[in-house]
Amino acid sequence: MKKSHKLSIFFCTRTFESEAVFLPKAPNSLEVRGVSMACSSMVKDIFLLKAFEAGADAVTVWVCPEGKCRHVEGNLRARKRVERVKALLEAIGFNGRRLTFFNLIPGDLASASDILEGIVATFNIIDGGPSKVSGCCFPGNAALKIQSPFGSNHSIQTDFR
Amino acid sequence: MIVGEQKPIMEILQMVSPHKKLLILGCGTCVKTCFAGGEDEVTTLASVLRLALKTKDIFVQIEELTVERQCEDAFIAEAADAVSRNEAVLSLACGAGVQAVARRFPRSLVLPGVNTTFLGVLERRGLFTEECSGCGDCQLAVFGGICPVTRCAKKLLNGPCGGSRNGKCEVNADTDCAWHLIIERLSAQGRLNQLRAYVPPKQWQASLSGGPRKLIREDHVI
Repeated sequence: MKKSHKLSIFFCTRTFESEAVFLPKAPNSLEVRGVSMACSSMVKDIFLLKAFEAGADAVTVWVCPEGKCRHVEGNLRARKRVERVKALLEAIGFNGRRLTFFNLIPGDLASASDILEGIVATFNIIDGGPSKVSGCCFPGNAALKIQSPFGSNHSIQTDFR
Repeated sequence: MIVGEQKPIMEILQMVSPHKKLLILGCGTCVKTCFAGGEDEVTTLASVLRLALKTKDIFVQIEELTVERQCEDAFIAEAADAVSRNEAVLSLACGAGVQAVARRFPRSLVLPGVNTTFLGVLERRGLFTEECSGCGDCQLAVFGGICPVTRCAKKLLNGPCGGSRNGKCEVNADTDCAWHLIIERLSAQGRLNQLRAYVPPKQWQASLSGGPRKLIREDHVI
């Protein structure tokens, strides 16, 4: 099946050891490329922008939960940088929703799967189509409610913004 | 150091989009330290501009180069080839650097990518504060190392205005009252008495108010 969208995932190796762990959870419509980092502090503005330049339709950054970074501030720095790049993307008319950020409990494949489904749903919104996610509303920065067979006890600490 | 802030991206975009070949020229000194115009910022800006221009179906070939300092001709000269093969130069240096590049390459279009703001320091991570106005007649010895010309909103030289509240300036409550700081500093040093000496009105001829200034070191002129 032809992949309709390309996604780059920058992930801390503490969340997942390698992309091989979460790739099987990727929806068929997504072509996923993982970029592992020893710490999420290695996320730099230019890496995220270069991913878009290289053709990614969306980029997502997966980091440890706040307070749990083994290098103390790495995930805090990563969040700030993602926020900065989102603002730049919005300023140039390049939908900031294409860039997302999530704190994940290490190894939480269920949440990773939900995130990937959510990103596919976001494409439907960005591309102008109807959302496939029930109960969702997209006013500005509202959180995206994700229907999951695993119930609502998920480690996702942030939202699609 | 000189502190500057990169111009808003849309302003930069408007300046550069008429040109087919653009050089983004960074500076590796002051503006690198304040994250406005160093090598990293050049790379990031080039990427943002490419993405932005792509959304508008405009093609601009962007070249990236950073020199050590744009305020010294020896370093600017390194950019000669790159300048000559581009239609326009977007300089991320401070205003002095932009003008130095423009002077060196008078036939080239040199555009400013940074708003130069002040002479300051890195007070703490991510925070740059203005410390010096370049008045040309430094009296920091009198004021315990805290400059009322720069840091007092009213530029008072003989004590506080009396309007401060909890150590904050009456004019701008986000700012520390400079005189509060001066008095605290001199008290800690046991030198508060020196404030009894009258400081006469400032002579501004030595500052920019007296027109653009020059400094000549004869011992360096051959």
